[in-house]
Amino acid sequence: MAADQVSMGTRATGAVRTAVGSVVSPTSERQREIRRIVALCLPFSVLLVFSGVFPLTEMFRISFSESRLVTEGFTLEYYRTMVNDPYYRNIAFNTLWFAAATTVASISIAVPVAHALEKYSLPAKSVILTILSFPNSLPGIVAAFMIIILFGNTGVFTNLLAFLSGQSRIDVAISTGVLGLFFAYLYSMIPRALLLLRGTYSEINTDAEEAARVLGATPLQTFRYVTLPQIKPGLIGAFILVFRTGLAIFGTVLILKGLLVWTLQIDRELAQGFNIAQASAMATIWFVFVFGFTVLALRYTSAEVSI
Amino acid sequence: MTERFQQGSLSARFGRPVVTLVLVLTLVFLAFPVVMTFVSSFASDWFGVFPSGFVTVQNWEDVIVGTGVGADVAVGSSLAYSTGLALGGVIINLIVGVPIAYAVARYDFWGRDWVNVFAILPLAPGIILGVAFLRTYPDLSTSGIALIIGYSLLKAPYMVMAVQSSFQSMDLQQIEESARSLGASWPRTFLTVIVPNARTGIIAGSIISWTLAAAEFNFSYIVYSRGTPPLAIFLFNNITNASFLNAAAAVSVFFLLIALVTISLQIVGNRGTIRRV
Repeated sequence: MAADQVSMGTRATGAVRTAVGSVVSPTSERQREIRRIVALCLPFSVLLVFSGVFPLTEMFRISFSESRLVTEGFTLEYYRTMVNDPYYRNIAFNTLWFAAATTVASISIAVPVAHALEKYSLPAKSVILTILSFPNSLPGIVAAFMIIILFGNTGVFTNLLAFLSGQSRIDVAISTGVLGLFFAYLYSMIPRALLLLRGTYSEINTDAEEAARVLGATPLQTFRYVTLPQIKPGLIGAFILVFRTGLAIFGTVLILKGLLVWTLQIDRELAQGFNIAQASAMATIWFVFVFGFTVLALRYTSAEVSI
Repeated sequence: MTERFQQGSLSARFGRPVVTLVLVLTLVFLAFPVVMTFVSSFASDWFGVFPSGFVTVQNWEDVIVGTGVGADVAVGSSLAYSTGLALGGVIINLIVGVPIAYAVARYDFWGRDWVNVFAILPLAPGIILGVAFLRTYPDLSTSGIALIIGYSLLKAPYMVMAVQSSFQSMDLQQIEESARSLGASWPRTFLTVIVPNARTGIIAGSIISWTLAAAEFNFSYIVYSRGTPPLAIFLFNNITNASFLNAAAAVSVFFLLIALVTISLQIVGNRGTIRRV
């Protein structure tokens, strides 16, 4: 038994040594190609390990730490808190429904917009495209400021509504409420959804749509039975990526504070007494959930993800 | 049947106007606040529906020169600091992004799809990575090195995608084999033939990942501790603490930066990538 293990161990090391040896000093053309692939992937792997895998592992370890300033001991206290405390359960619920609702809303808006961009002949199309993609490079805090401009206490729509309804401006301002935050999320998420859907839309077979129209289908029926099945994989892919985006939003909520979501609570754990262990536990849960969700969704749906 | 065609269905009659209306409303929703921000940054007050008291450069002066109140700093130092940090991130991105994009575009190997997914999907968003950095690299946080390596991981996907779109339009195998048969070694082929041919994608990718790194707020906010604030933190301080119109001017500075980037991307001519910004 022990001898078996030893021989298996030596065989494994032997195999590793042969593999490393063939990479370092290749003898065949195929081995040279493998060496090139390894060399090409190496810089990225180094970055991934140093700035991704290693810090995330540390974060994972800290979330079980008993001591606050050094990582030592093992406790499930922080995870237990998240499961038992209704405060955290409530935040998790808020985060999920809000991200889901904004994802559905932004995709429902992005589909007709992508449709119009692809099918209609529009004036000044390059200007339209620039406007639609511009918010993709804005950080969340600027999206929040845009909502303050529109719906804040002195916002343009607030003034308009106050004028029309005769109420005071403070009463009709929605920027710091849940609705204001909803619009702020949409400000970041619609351009993102559009980016993904435009790629899908450009690959549609238009012959089938024309055939359907000639055979007497209404535009809505054509969309429902011909276009929709074609864009379905892209649509599911967009749902997954936009939902991820929605869960990751932080700067916007930090300014508008309309709803206490998971990311905002992570910051509060740090800001109020630097509770790094609790923050790490929350970040770990976030990471595991999103990672697992993405892998499962890509594995078990027909989603196409191309960014 | 003919009757139905004459009457037309609801969607035939209203489908197009409704879709167009959604497009117009979306455009207004996205563009109107940007325009208002820029316009109001030249106003002296905003009490009614629209800002008034044009034209003043007081707000811009407060942002560009600094007000000198409290820990307030001028935009110049933040802009310069972020420019440097983002540039550091871009250099790392070039070193890691171009080779992996080439590996995925040129070679067929076991696990290629997964390598591609890892290169293209961000591993973790800014706030999660920020929390992870806090205790892992506590000494680096104050020097800005933590910001640089964080930015480079967060924005690497954009570099990889831009470079990949350039590689996909090239016949890589033929180019590589021509160069090799003329006697160039493989490293030389890669550095002096392949990379220069993909320069459009490389420049576009550099510009995009630079902009997004300079604009990154979530990661900077968690990791930044003291010293010159990065540009995104400067914007945040202005939005939360400064007067409304000063904030408008600060955000406008940022808009100008993005406009500049968009124009330079159009000059580079990589239209496919502009849409991805």
